[in-house]
Parts: sequence; structure tokens; C-alpha cells
Amino acid sequence: MKSLNKVLLGSATLLAAITLAACGKSSSDSTTSDSKTVSGTVKLWVDTTKVPYYKTIVKDFNKEYPDVKVTVTQSPNGSANAKTDVGKDPSKAADVFEVANDQLGSMANQGYINPLSPAATKAVKKNNVAVASEAVTWDGKMYGYPTSQQAQTLYYNKAKLSADDVKTWAGLTAKGVVATDFTNAYNFYPVFLSAGTYLYGKNGETLKGTDANTAAGVAAMTWFAQQKSNKGVMQTSNALNQLKSGNAAATLDGPWDSANIKKILGDDFAVAPYPTINVGGKDVQMQAFLGVGCFAVNSNTATKNQKAAATLAQYVTNKKSQLVVYKHSGAIPVDKAAQASSTVASDPVAKAVITMSQEGYSTIMPKMTQMATFWNLSAPLINGAYTGSIPAAQYQAKLDTFVSAISKAN
Amino acid sequence: MFKRKSKHQPPTATYREVWANGDASFKLSFFFMGLAQLKHKQWAKGIAFLGLELAFLAWFIFSGISLLGMLSDLGTIKSKKVVFDASQGVYVTKLPDNSVVILLFGVMSVILLVTMLGLYLANLRSVRTLYVQLRDGEHVPTNREDLHSLLDSRLHATLMMIPIIGIVAFTILPTLYMISMAFTNYDGKHPIGFSWTGFKAFGNVLTGDLAGTFFPVLGWTLVWAVAATATTFFFGVLLAMLIESKGIKHKGFWRTIFVIVYAVPQFVSLLMMAQFLDLQGPLNNLLMNWHLISSPINFIGASANPMVARITVIVVNMWIGIPVSMLVSTAIIQNLPQDQIEAARMDGANALQVFRTITFPQILFVMSPALIQQFIGNINNFNVIYLLTGGYPMNNNYNGAGDTDLLVTWLYNLVFGQTQRYNASAVLGILIFILSATFSLIAYRRTNAFKEG
Amino acid sequence: MKSYHAQRRLSLGFRYLLLIFLAVLWLVPIVWIVLASFSANDTGFVSTYWPKEFTLQNYIGIFTSEQFPFVYWIRNTLMVSIISTILSTFVTICVAYTLSRLRFRLRKPFLQIALVLGMFPGFMAMIALYYILKSFNMLNLGGLILVYVGGAGLGFYIAKGFFDTIPVAIDEAAVMDGATKWQVFWHIGLPMSRPIIVYTALTAFIAPWIDFIFSGIILSASGDSKTYTIAYGLYNMLHSTRGASTTYFTQFIAGCVIIAIPITVLFVIMQKFYVNGITAGADKG
Repeated sequence: MKSLNKVLLGSATLLAAITLAACGKSSSDSTTSDSKTVSGTVKLWVDTTKVPYYKTIVKDFNKEYPDVKVTVTQSPNGSANAKTDVGKDPSKAADVFEVANDQLGSMANQGYINPLSPAATKAVKKNNVAVASEAVTWDGKMYGYPTSQQAQTLYYNKAKLSADDVKTWAGLTAKGVVATDFTNAYNFYPVFLSAGTYLYGKNGETLKGTDANTAAGVAAMTWFAQQKSNKGVMQTSNALNQLKSGNAAATLDGPWDSANIKKILGDDFAVAPYPTINVGGKDVQMQAFLGVGCFAVNSNTATKNQKAAATLAQYVTNKKSQLVVYKHSGAIPVDKAAQASSTVASDPVAKAVITMSQEGYSTIMPKMTQMATFWNLSAPLINGAYTGSIPAAQYQAKLDTFVSAISKAN
Repeated sequence: MFKRKSKHQPPTATYREVWANGDASFKLSFFFMGLAQLKHKQWAKGIAFLGLELAFLAWFIFSGISLLGMLSDLGTIKSKKVVFDASQGVYVTKLPDNSVVILLFGVMSVILLVTMLGLYLANLRSVRTLYVQLRDGEHVPTNREDLHSLLDSRLHATLMMIPIIGIVAFTILPTLYMISMAFTNYDGKHPIGFSWTGFKAFGNVLTGDLAGTFFPVLGWTLVWAVAATATTFFFGVLLAMLIESKGIKHKGFWRTIFVIVYAVPQFVSLLMMAQFLDLQGPLNNLLMNWHLISSPINFIGASANPMVARITVIVVNMWIGIPVSMLVSTAIIQNLPQDQIEAARMDGANALQVFRTITFPQILFVMSPALIQQFIGNINNFNVIYLLTGGYPMNNNYNGAGDTDLLVTWLYNLVFGQTQRYNASAVLGILIFILSATFSLIAYRRTNAFKEG
Repeated sequence: MKSYHAQRRLSLGFRYLLLIFLAVLWLVPIVWIVLASFSANDTGFVSTYWPKEFTLQNYIGIFTSEQFPFVYWIRNTLMVSIISTILSTFVTICVAYTLSRLRFRLRKPFLQIALVLGMFPGFMAMIALYYILKSFNMLNLGGLILVYVGGAGLGFYIAKGFFDTIPVAIDEAAVMDGATKWQVFWHIGLPMSRPIIVYTALTAFIAPWIDFIFSGIILSASGDSKTYTIAYGLYNMLHSTRGASTTYFTQFIAGCVIIAIPITVLFVIMQKFYVNGITAGADKG
């Protein structure tokens, strides 16, 4: 008597289980197509707000490759989180997706993305500026098709600051207030690089290549501490609001916000490369991290669609597409010809970003897997120096701990 | 209290006796479930048992064995291989075996196996009952009676069936899966193909690179849980007494005002509260305009003072939590026996004394089970911390956590953050469980309020 | 006697003052949220209590946005909550009634297991849930409903407390008269539990409107914002694209206010049932 209910219960579970098991076992079988013409079905992920114009780009793509069926959808959490979004379930992720170059290293190591073919590598090298090619190369192979470059620049209110004022940090902060955020390592870790240290070596791929625990690193920490008492520096989580209210005259920000800042400052909008700063008694160029936005091909994509995926990735990053994206979002192209085109060349934001992308002004964000740990640990370090919760006497010890923690093999 | 029908009649026959004296169908029932029932015309039961066994065997042979087999090493191919596909001119990656799926379906197979074992035991019991009924010449229930019992003596089975399936599929299976994850090296380095590593991940959390974060965060989690529970409870009672006190009119209206705060979805109220309290936010602006402070206070920012931030978090939690405990204590206060209070008043006790010696202890007594639950809830209070501070302020002694991070928000960061330390977060999950279980066990024992359950 | 009256007057006045002060304190941030939803702002941060400039544009914007189909979100959430309310309430009431009124062999173990299961933090389980739903091809609103309903079997405490307070004698009398347990459940148990059914249903109804984590994990895979629920959609609005939090912030607040209104109203209606439920559950020593 007792058993009937269990029987019923069990049967339902069992049915469920059989279905589960059947689904769990089936895997996409890969049939290699021999045909040389490009065909297949490809899913493309871009940031939510970019979907409309990528749809037009794909329309153009289909004129050239009518046999490739492309669906453009928004990625779950944006290109900045591609690593975790794809990692959640690579087989459900898009075949081609947008990703920031600093995630390429770990994604390549984990096997989520495929390297570019030799032919594509050659084309990317030929068409794009050198830093872009370098930014998407990991361990000797290219893993992404570069489409835009992002380096922070200085945005300022030209009613309050002159072009001369913003050449040096001292001049800038004497005449006006810079609204910025010391809890964001993306903003301020590059001061260590300005001070003359390396992050993962010169090539950004050397595990033991970080030398922030030197006199130069201590000088950078000292610089952060000095900014706390600098009346011209404002710690804020909402720099744009401070610009608008007039409490601040300048901020360090990236091209993704340039449209917003233009709206806020109106005619007083102005942009310039970073100023020079005085670290450890020397005047040096203040550096920024250079990030390159790119498209990568999911390694889970069925083999028969790989060619189509690679072709699409290449197309959405060509000169024409880069210019379309630039027009709508202000993302600065990396294609040589696109950079030379009149609209880009005459854009002050683009000019400032392109200057910032040069050597001496910025360092390409390293692609090491350890960057995850780096971001977690560097921000509290900089913030600690800034707020004074790390006293000067402890700088060296804290830097030693930091460097050893981010230089661990696993 | 309740009249309990004794469920377990002493077995009137041993299984050995069933085996020895039963006819062939009884003997066969030890291997093929349901045969004895079928032979004695209990079709419904017999078919169900036999059908289930056949279905199970089919599943077991065709996929169960391989699923369980793979569970032992979570897949054989552990590393990827990149090869050049010359025919298409592209690189393709041969991926490792997907251990996540293998582990999940392995755990599921184990659950199925255990279920089947339970079914087998149920079958044996059913067979034995049938044997005894036949032997003693008792009435053998017909199919009709069997089915009818599902609406009467076995109603609990009918009502619980669907919920239990839900609980097994959506709670037990995921929980077991999570627990087993703690014994693997599933992390950012082994995101697809991982293997069993025993207690290594526990070592990382308790003595390795996460220990320096784990123990301080654990300490703050406990402080927070005590403070959050105590403050909301105590002030909730006070507020309820204020509203319930003599002479206050429109009590419902006053209660509603406070309840509104609790009613606004937390991801709205807390996210906005974070801006409200920002260094340059409205609150600081107001306070500055009224000349109450000379420079803005950094309440909860990433560079705030840890002490200030922790106090702020507890205060904001009071803002959200007091209305609830006010509501609950209101109901209790309304039901308090008035005679005791009157007697105390007669004896000359003042309001404070009445409150301290009569009202408060009574409320405390009635509410203690709810308080324990709240305490556990606060240990796992994800929303308040995640939405309000995101774990900030930053702490340069911690690894991937901030000063207001609780174990549970840190766990979330480990799973969904950049470092992808899934196994460590599973360990944290188990430790949080042990913590909660220990506390509630002690508390329930102490209060003795968890009587009948 | 006069002084006694005066003292009472004074005390009442003081209590009213305190109450008004507290009420203001509690409502200040809420009023600010509503005000902020009407403010014209393009910096992603509202730094003043009183908006510098009022506008309805945020509300117009959120209903007409192409990238963020707010109306679809409301529709989806409404659908999910209605279906999940019906199913979850059924499940919860069944479990609570069974555990409270019926006696059977596995009752105690079940109660203990349920207590234990509730203590595991759910985030790791989400990964498992994702794959379970994926293998049923249910990474959609239907799957989300399943998850909400699947968890309902463990949320029986308050309803069980309620059933515990109903005298057993009623059931026993009915059984004496020859009613089956099903009839007792259907004709006596359910009608008597109206308040707790309302309470359970309202709780279940509210859940989909405020959950942004589960829904995010399950729905984000589709990449189609028209399939999102409101909580995840709004959350996604700020987190989808760099710079988006600046552009869409005030629209986000407007969206939040729109959904907060019905939930608040529901909650205010519910508070009576809530109190009854909780105290009934706690009061039985």
C-alpha cells in the first residue's frame, strides 16, 4: 500500500532522468564541409546598445556572403564581462562575440576561443595599427579581430582650464579640480608604469616581470598619498555629475563616455591627452592602460560554421564597419585607413585617444590569467595609499605582498 | 496531543519467511518487483513496480552505467588541443570533456540509484504485507481500495508527490552538486575539464591564500548577524509599542507609512540608498546645507572608513528591517494578557518596569523561533550588502573581498567575479551551512521553542 | 488630577512628535526616489534632494525605448508571476497542510531535511539549475516558473504554523462522520485557510518582480531582451554597456518606481495576513 505513491513518484523522476540523460549525452556532431564557399549559421553577441547598428553592418555582410545566416543579439553582461558570460556555458554563448583584449589570454588558455588563421593574422596586421595587432596577440598567436581602441584621456571644461593648464598635473590641479576615482585601478595603476615599473614585463606576458616593489613603486604610492591633500583632486564615484555641477573642471575618462560628457559640457567641451606628473622627483608622462576591443570566435562553434564565424568576425571589424561603429558610439577605430579618414582625423577625442595609444603614453593591458587577481588586489592597494590607511612605512611590505600574489603560477 | 495511529505494526513475518514459504511469484519478486502483486490481482501496484524496474534497468544499461562510470574521474580528456583545419583554413579547438555536465548527471544518477533502492525496499515491504495477508487469510486490498487510499489514509503521499519532485530536482540535486564541487579543482584554470582533488580546496580556504580573508569576513558576518537581528528586533518592538500606546489615533495609517519602506523592492530601495548616502549624494548635500557637518561624510564608498561603513550598513538595515518586526510585535502586543500588566501597574510599577519585566520578555518568548530564523537569514543577507555597498570599502589585507562583505557576498564574487574560484566558493557554501546549522541547533535547544516541529 | 491630565497630554504630544519624526525619517529616501525619477539628469547620478529640473521624459523614454522593451518586461513578469503564483501556492499549501495535519512515517525526517536544505546558500546551485533547465531546453520564462515553483515546497513554515493553530478536533469530527481525509482537506482545510492562501499567493506573486539574479542567469542566455523579466531587464539596463549607466540612469529609476507602486500596494494589503501568518506560526509553543 505504501508503495504506490513511491512508484508514481519514482516513475516521474525516472522519466525526467531519462530525458535528462538523453539530452546530456547528445553532443553536436561536427561534420566538416568540403565546400570552399562560405556558408553556415552564426550567432553574434554585441553590447545591448550596439545591436541596432551591428544589424546594419550584418546586412552589408550578407550582401557579400548571402549563405551565412547571422543572428545579432545582445550579450548578457556586455563585452567587459565576456569571459564570465562565455565561461558560464560556452556552448550557449555566441559564435562571435565582442571582448576586451585583456581577457584574451585567460580565454585562450581556457580554450574558449580559437586563434586566427595565418591568412587572417596577416590581414589584421596589414590593416590595423601596430598596437592593435600587438594587443590581440597572446603567446605568439592572434586571438581576436581588433575593432576599437580605448585609452582614457583628460576631458575638461575649457571655460575653466586652458590648453596650457592641462599639460601638467600640477598646473591642472592648481587651476581647477579634477574629479576622479582612486578606487578604480584602471584609472591609477598606470601611475606605477609612469614611475618606470613594468607589469608582467615589457611584453606583458612575463609572469615574474612585475617590479612594482621597487623604489619606483614606492614613489608611485607616495604620489597617491600626496593627492589626498591636493585641493585640486576630488575623490568621487560620479565624476560626470561633478563636471555638470561645476564642482570639478576635469576628469579622466574613456571614449565610451565622451558623448555623455559632450552633452554635459556643451560648448565648453575639450579633451587632451593625459598631463605629465611628478613622480619620485621626475616629471614623467602620466600613462593610461590601452585596451583594444575585439571580436573573438568561440571554440565551441561547430566546425562547419567555423569558417563562417571567422569571416563574420573579420567583416565586422573591417574599415567600413569600424567607421559605422565610430559614428554611432564614438569608439575609436584601429584600422589605419579608418583613422586617416577625415571624420576621425578631425575629431579631437579621436586625436587625443590616438595620441594616448602611442608608446610612452599608455601600456597595453596585459592578457595574463593573473589579471583577475591583479584587479582584485591593486585597487585596494592604491586606495590604501590614497586614503592613508597604508602608512608610508608599509609601502614596501605591501608592494612585496602584492607583487608576489599576482606573480603566482596559478 | 495528537492521536497517533501506530504506523509500524511489528512485522508479522520476516523476509526470510516470505522467501522460504512464499510461492514462486514471491521469490521472483525479490528480483522482479511487482510480480507477486500482479499474480494476486493487484494490477495497479504490480504494473507500476514492474514498469518502473524495467524503465530503470533500460536507463541504467543505456546511460546510467556510463554516467556513473564517468563520475569517477569526471571525464578523461582534461586539456584542450588547438589544431589547424587545413580544409577550411581555420584553427579549431578540441575541447576537454565537460566535467560540469558529467558531474551534474553523475550526481543525478546517484540520486536515481538511491531512489530505486528505496523503491526496491518499498516493494519488499509491500510483498511482505501481501504475504502476511494471504497467510493469515486477511482481506487483500483490491485495486480500487488501493487507489482510494491515496485520497484517504495515504493522502499525504498524493499531496507531497509533486512538491517532492520539485524539491529533489531544484534543491536537492543542485545542493549535492554544489557540495561535490568543493572536492574538485573546478576553477578559472580548470573551467571545463576538472578532477577530484579531495580536501585541497578546503585547505585553500582555511589555511591557504584565502584564509587571511576568510576569518576576518567570518568574524564580521557574525557581528553583522547579531547586530542586524538585535537592532531590528529591539527597535521594532519599541516602535510597535509607540504606535500601540494609548491615545495614538489612526494606528493603521502609521503602520502603513513604515511598511511602505519594506514594500519597495530591495533592488530599488537599496541601490538608490547607495546613491543617497554617497560622498557627493543628497544626504551629504542636505547635511552640509543645514550646516550640520562641515565636510561630507563618506558613509559607504569604496574608500570609506570601515567602521563608518559597517555602522551605516547596520543602520540602513534597521531602516528596512524595523517595519517588519514592528508588524510582528504589534500582533503579539495586541494579544498580550492584560491582567498581568494591570496587576503590575496596581503594584506601582512604572511603564519602563512593565516593559522590562513583562512585555519585552513575553514578546521575546513568542518571537524566539522567528528570531533564530532571522539570524540565519542575516548570515545569508545577500541583498543588503550586495546592493548597498557591493562589499566596499576596500580592504588591502583581503583577497577579493571588502570590509562589509559577508561570507555569502564573497561567495558570490568568487563564483561570478573575474577570479572564477568555483571550488572555493563551494567550500564557503558548506562552511556557511555548518555555521548556520550549528547556531540554529544550539539556539533551538536553548529556547526549547522548537517543540513539535 | 489636573496635573495628571496635563502630564498625559504632554506625553501624548511627545509621542506624536516622535512618531512624526520617525515617519519623516523613514519616508525621506522613498520620496527622494520618486522625485529623482522625475528629474532631468544626464550624469548617471542624482546629487540633490530636490531635482533641479523636472521632466516626464524618463517615463516617456522607458515606455518607448527600443533597446529596453519595458512593456514586454511587464507582460513577461506578469505572466510568470500569475502562473507561478497559482502553482506555488498550490504546492506550498499542500506541503504545509500535509506536514501539519497528517501523520506519516517520513514526516519528521522531512521536516528536518527541509530545515537543513534551507541553510545552503543558493548561488552555486544556480549553475546546476542552469544546466538542468538547459537539458530540458527550458532556458526561458517557463524554466523560470519551474524554478520558482520548485522552491515553493520548502517555503511552508508560515503556512504550516497557521494550520497548526486550527484545532484538530474539527478534522476528527469529520472523520467520525465518515469523511475521507481528502474531503477533510478539500471541504474543511482549504476554506478555513483563506487568509494564509492569500498571504502565500501574494508572496509568490511578488517574487518574480524583485528577483534579478536567478532570472538573469536563466534568461540572459537567449540574448533577446524581449524575453526578460522586469527586475533583470532593469538591472541589465545599467550593466549592459559601458557608459550606459550614465545614459539610462533616470529611466531606470522611473522604471523602478513604476513597478514599486503595485508591489507596495499589494504589500500594504498583505500586511494583515503577514502578521497573522507569522504570529500564528510563532505563537504555538
